[in-house]
Amino acid sequence: MADTGFLPKEKLNTLLEALSKKLQVFVPVLEGDVVLFRRFASGVTLCLTRPANLPPKGILFPQSETLFNFNFKKDPEDLKKSSLELKENLDFVPTIIFGGRPCDAQGFRIYDRVYLETDTADPYYKGRREKTTIITLTCNAPSPGCFCTSVGRGPAESDGSDLMMTEMEKGYFFEPMTEKGEEILKDSLFEDGSAYKQQAQKAHEKVSALVKKPFATLEGTPEKLLSLFDNNQFWEGEAAKCISCGACTYLCPTCYCFNITDEEVGNTGERIRSWDACMFFHFTLEASSHNPRQNKHQRLKNRVGHKFSYYPKKYNGVIACCGCGRCIRYCPMSVDISGIVAHAQGA
Amino acid sequence: MTIEKLKEAARKILPEVDVVIGYRQGFDPLHATPYFMTKPEQVDQLIWNSLCVQNLCSYLPFLKGKVGVIVKGCDSRTIVQYMQEKLIVRENVKVIGVPCLRVISVKKVLAAINQQSVKEVTFEGENIVVKTPEGQKTIPLADVAPRKCVTCQLATPLQYDVLAGEGIQSNKPQDTFEETKEFEKLSLEERRAYWEKEFDRCIRCYACRNACPMCICQDKCIAESRDPHWTSQRANVTEKFMFHMIHGLHLAGRCISCEECERVCPMDIPVAKIKKKISMDLKELFGYEAGMNPDDTPPMYVFKVEEATIEEHEL
Amino acid sequence: MSSIHNPYLPELATVIKIIDETPNIKSFQVVLNDPEKMKSFTFEPGQVGQLSLFGVGESTFVINSPPTRMEYLQFSVMKAGEVTSALHELAEGDQVGVRAPLGNWFPYAHMKGKKILFIGGGIGLAPLRTLILFMLDNRADYGDITIIYGARTPNDLCYKDELKEWEARPDVNMILTVDNEFPGWVKRVGLVPNVLKELAPSPENTVAITCGPPIMIKFTLQALSALKFDDEQIITTLEKRMKCGIGICGRCNIGTMYVCKDGPVFSLTQLKELPAEL
Repeated sequence: MADTGFLPKEKLNTLLEALSKKLQVFVPVLEGDVVLFRRFASGVTLCLTRPANLPPKGILFPQSETLFNFNFKKDPEDLKKSSLELKENLDFVPTIIFGGRPCDAQGFRIYDRVYLETDTADPYYKGRREKTTIITLTCNAPSPGCFCTSVGRGPAESDGSDLMMTEMEKGYFFEPMTEKGEEILKDSLFEDGSAYKQQAQKAHEKVSALVKKPFATLEGTPEKLLSLFDNNQFWEGEAAKCISCGACTYLCPTCYCFNITDEEVGNTGERIRSWDACMFFHFTLEASSHNPRQNKHQRLKNRVGHKFSYYPKKYNGVIACCGCGRCIRYCPMSVDISGIVAHAQGA
Repeated sequence: MTIEKLKEAARKILPEVDVVIGYRQGFDPLHATPYFMTKPEQVDQLIWNSLCVQNLCSYLPFLKGKVGVIVKGCDSRTIVQYMQEKLIVRENVKVIGVPCLRVISVKKVLAAINQQSVKEVTFEGENIVVKTPEGQKTIPLADVAPRKCVTCQLATPLQYDVLAGEGIQSNKPQDTFEETKEFEKLSLEERRAYWEKEFDRCIRCYACRNACPMCICQDKCIAESRDPHWTSQRANVTEKFMFHMIHGLHLAGRCISCEECERVCPMDIPVAKIKKKISMDLKELFGYEAGMNPDDTPPMYVFKVEEATIEEHEL
Repeated sequence: MSSIHNPYLPELATVIKIIDETPNIKSFQVVLNDPEKMKSFTFEPGQVGQLSLFGVGESTFVINSPPTRMEYLQFSVMKAGEVTSALHELAEGDQVGVRAPLGNWFPYAHMKGKKILFIGGGIGLAPLRTLILFMLDNRADYGDITIIYGARTPNDLCYKDELKEWEARPDVNMILTVDNEFPGWVKRVGLVPNVLKELAPSPENTVAITCGPPIMIKFTLQALSALKFDDEQIITTLEKRMKCGIGICGRCNIGTMYVCKDGPVFSLTQLKELPAEL
């Protein structure tokens, strides 16, 4: 990766407008006091000062999407017969996700292993992923509850991003990580960024040191969590205040579970893939009414276990938590997953 | 000091119950979090101040055995409503009432400090003092209190087995549903546009439903079921609207205005406004307020051929 | 069109025959509409499929016909929830979707030359059936075959015609039982795990394969261990609520293993390594 870039602050809008002409650009937008990703259009209030409430995961993994439509057609020669037609919904458009944080981009790396690195890859995720460029803003301060450096990430972590941008006094320093990132930097709006590289590096190190560390290391934690599997007292204690909603899961950049349901009106319908959460009672409910996780402490144990034990055991120790802190910030009862892991280590 | 009286009450009640639910310091200086105490030494961690926003009563219908719970005035209406609906056995609950004039809305404080992270929080008189990386800000509590505190008449809880402190009077104006009535002046189209814009952000996380003390059927919610099938999994405004309508209507005559639903929404949707409208209508139609008198019966639980305040259409 | 195979898209298939096995279990024989796809369809005994009823949903069933008999694919369905109830309303000629084969299969290659002990309860005979027929079609490869099969009542026994065939075969030892005495039933009475204990088969050079209701599996596994079967000699097949069937949606996991992809067939050795979350 050769060139870096610099964009003066006053040219940011121009850049976004130029990019929007060629593809759809999602940016963090302020609506009231909430920051969420919307399509860029003139008049949106861009907000880059804090991570979005809802991460941009819905851009690659929509909250609901039609996998395929089905259509029963009656045979005009014999009305008792009907034929069935399935139509896949696989059209995707080139997209840019602009202004997410390193933790947001990390979420997509967690998805990649599950959705792409398998002999049954997901064509919906793959189609979107391949056409998406991720431009990530490094953090200049930690957010309440966040702990990215304790899970192998950082406020300037580039894994999962195509182009990194760092806020400087008068503009943004850009550093490409992939060919897609380099492509963006070819735009004439960018000046040479090499003068800012060292300054950006120093800023990254400074912020990194500010991030809270709820635990010193996660070595041995996957095994420790498994050893606590049958310790109901531990999990009941941790889950006592949890109300078993899906806020943590839906706001989490790395959570990727989904549901598949059919909807039909008359002779046509669709099969829908939609977000689901292992925290809900119905997630593992079987038709016989047996439920392997009928209690909320079992569900919380599974969520923590999946992120800090099962996923790392399957994928070379990678923790399926990016430390963004959203689940802690937005939990109605302030359940703190980093605290639970720290307690488990000491249990 | 209230906190000393609270700790004393909790320690006294602990041997009689399986758990005492109170508050402790949360993940940062601006958050308290529910605290389930089973041992006397845990009571040392108990806190009491305007950060203690959660309605701890919502755990009660799901807990077995005997439970002690710390309860503010607004929370105490939950106990009363649970008694009306027989969702708790009152003798199995030891209510530690605490006098309260107001709590904070974390969202309002964060807005007042420009969403900065919080390094320290203290209370000085009627103010909250917040230290952030940018400096220090002193904010009057009245400016960052949630809607319910502005007109709260229950400075002393309605139900308690022990009161941690002296009973106090509220001295606040009565709720005249002014906000609701102002909103109703908008045209139907304007109101619809407002709610479509708000619900567009809804992610159907069901935090509002699960935090609601009255939503005890949350695991088998009719808004999620396939039989009967009222909503689909499509993430569009129609479906989100439908869920919120079902949720609101199922709370008619039951909502005790704790406004937990609005507090917990991660997308800042003012969902309590809908429940307030329904509460206002219930007051008008049946002269009824939920969670005030244990001997009441919620109007939606009773069928009367002739309703005193509703004029039937002539057939 | 996707540049890669779309694992969520079912193959269209037609129901050619429906058999009433018991008051609440039906078997469906389906044929893929595309004759080329049907001809080239391969699977291993123990693998499952997601059967789609468009507009209702999908549900997982073992392909309980063997790969040695490919005129159709057979799925046996117990009426329990939304999809299975709707499946029970189907008529011959109706269209369904099939996503198969999914999951792993019985390690039959390691069973060659051994004695095979099948222990089934109720609809648990379905996954065993595919392996039984496969082995009968390759009879010389396997030693003695013993089948212990029971249900609550004689009416709840599946594949009644086949049970008679297997009883009649000299190279199969067929033991049938029902839970309690029943008018007209002259054969054994007793719960399957108890019958197993009474018969006390030797673990010598034997593989035991069991499937049935969770409580029956639990006691059968205990009985087999008490009879000195090694964990490695005991095979079972599990069930969980499933959606994607390809190990992505995160639903059917037991610890690190996904029942749809790393299972549903597990040895007791493997099961004991997993957290106790059945």
